[in-house]
Amino acid sequence: MKRYTITAFVLALVVFFSFSSPEWFSESGSVAGQRRGSRRSGKSRAVRKPVIDYSQFSHATREHQASCKTCHKTPTSNWRKVADFPDVADFPDHEACVRCHRPQFFKSAQPAICSNCHRRASPRDEARFEFRNPDWPRQFGIEFPHDKHQDVIARAQPPVTQTVSLRRMAHAVRPPPQSQTNSLQYNNCEICHSTNAKPPVAPVAGWADAFVPALNLFKASPESHASCFNCHWKSAEPVKDNCAGCHKLAAAPYQPTGVPERKSMRFTHAREQHVKECTACHINITKAASLKGLKPDVPISTCTECHNKEGLRLDVSGELAALDKSRDFNCIYCHTSDVGRRNPPSSHYLISGRPPLKLRE
Amino acid sequence: MIRRTANKPRRSLFGPCLICGLILAYCFATLPLVQESKAQQAAPSGVIRLRVRVATGDGNKANGLSRKRFFLIKGSLEENKALVEAIEQQSLISRDCYYRGLGASEALIAWLKEKDCESVYCREVEPEHVEGAAAVPEFQQAVAAGEKEFGSRELARKWLAVNLNANLRSGFYTSQQQRLTALLIKAEEVSRAKVLSVMTDSFGTAYFTDIEPGTYTISNLIPTEVGTMAEIWNAEIKVKPGDLATELPFLISNPGNKDPRDKKNIKRVSLEKPLPPCG
Repeated sequence: MKRYTITAFVLALVVFFSFSSPEWFSESGSVAGQRRGSRRSGKSRAVRKPVIDYSQFSHATREHQASCKTCHKTPTSNWRKVADFPDVADFPDHEACVRCHRPQFFKSAQPAICSNCHRRASPRDEARFEFRNPDWPRQFGIEFPHDKHQDVIARAQPPVTQTVSLRRMAHAVRPPPQSQTNSLQYNNCEICHSTNAKPPVAPVAGWADAFVPALNLFKASPESHASCFNCHWKSAEPVKDNCAGCHKLAAAPYQPTGVPERKSMRFTHAREQHVKECTACHINITKAASLKGLKPDVPISTCTECHNKEGLRLDVSGELAALDKSRDFNCIYCHTSDVGRRNPPSSHYLISGRPPLKLRE
Repeated sequence: MIRRTANKPRRSLFGPCLICGLILAYCFATLPLVQESKAQQAAPSGVIRLRVRVATGDGNKANGLSRKRFFLIKGSLEENKALVEAIEQQSLISRDCYYRGLGASEALIAWLKEKDCESVYCREVEPEHVEGAAAVPEFQQAVAAGEKEFGSRELARKWLAVNLNANLRSGFYTSQQQRLTALLIKAEEVSRAKVLSVMTDSFGTAYFTDIEPGTYTISNLIPTEVGTMAEIWNAEIKVKPGDLATELPFLISNPGNKDPRDKKNIKRVSLEKPLPPCG
């Protein structure tokens, strides 16, 4: 009998510790993982040398982590042909690779290492990929202090009327605001976030409700040095040669999906009535010191200043009332059905002064 | 009766013990989680909707003070007394005096003042600011240097800032930032909490979100130039649990605001000082 009691007690202890300190029992726990990893690598080292794929250049390789200008030239000699401003517009020259990789460089008729930059690994074909190659996963993330930039470009005079078109800062070279229907422009976020000119990438599963968003539903984000070098070319750090001032090596290579993430998919940035300054709705942006974790979230209260006013419009209240009548109703004024079929958040009920409904199953 | 009981075989305690042990272990393990979620539910955060409106001239028409940074410091005005005194007693130097002290041209000072700019990054340098009668000499020199470097006068104008002397480019902004940084350190020392900041939009509105309930001081830390005056705001505000600031905003203004729309709603006026003459 005693034995059973002890067994039960031990079992209880095991359950307790498995809840309170799961890492003691998990194989992926850091200590266990490291030990196992090191043992394995020791074994494999003894058995055979790791095979290096020279066609997969990585900035994470220790030997590739010298100063960026060791290999990259700013500007590259071809900038006048491909850009309208001095830029890093090409891969590094052969010298950058040959100084360490001579054996790989002359290994065969078609050395694998050449395929990092060249379309064909042949001495007779010099054609290179577009720089940077859009098909390659990205190896760097961007660090950008939003708050500092908003401070420095701040101007105090508010817009007076819609007919006044406030001028943008000319230093930035950027695409013209095509398809923008609201004339009011501000000298702040729009310097970098102009109205989108590229078709948004569709999700793998396709657009919800087959709603293909128009170009002007979104704002664009900078994709080149155009919005940076106009001020940071020299003297204002981080300058052109200080790549690491903005480009931080990512934990692992990644391929940005480009699929827009939005709760209110039907909102149109460029609509004629949407003339408020960006920060009037994106209320948390000005306190963001980094791009990390930055979410351009917009609280419902900024929408309902116009979209849920007695005597004006009652878009939120109307949809909540419809949902009250039929639990199968989808909110589609702002949302597509992938979001609109979910239970509305409490903020929506609060702002429209309605008691929350019983949650849908 | 006694004999029967004595002869009855004793029941195994293994099953009940195991079940009790498991239940106890589960309770111990999940107790911290329950406590944590209860603590989170206990104090829902609040929102501050700040609005800053100022009036100049006769004061009958106020406008939102746009694109100015405000800071949220934990604690009441009394608790932050040392900080408030430091903010109110700091020396003033106007933007005009700063640039005049650097020997900037009157044309550059006027260009900055025209749109209330602290630095040349603030607005576009138009062709008329580089050529002709209204040209700014510093801009002309920078464009000439850029034209030599880039081989394009248009690019030189667009990238004008890269060929300007650092002090002329953003010296006033940088000096303001240095003062701000020193005061922020002091604010965090005095309040023993992280200081948050937001910038006002074109209507003079800014939001502090996810704020723990309690008493706070809202301040601009460094004086804001409004016309010929410098405004310093230090205002106390109480954040209630779950207050989403959906009613009236927390309005602060300057003493000269007589706008009838604001009159009854102003929660705090600034400490106003005239901008000192250039020494």
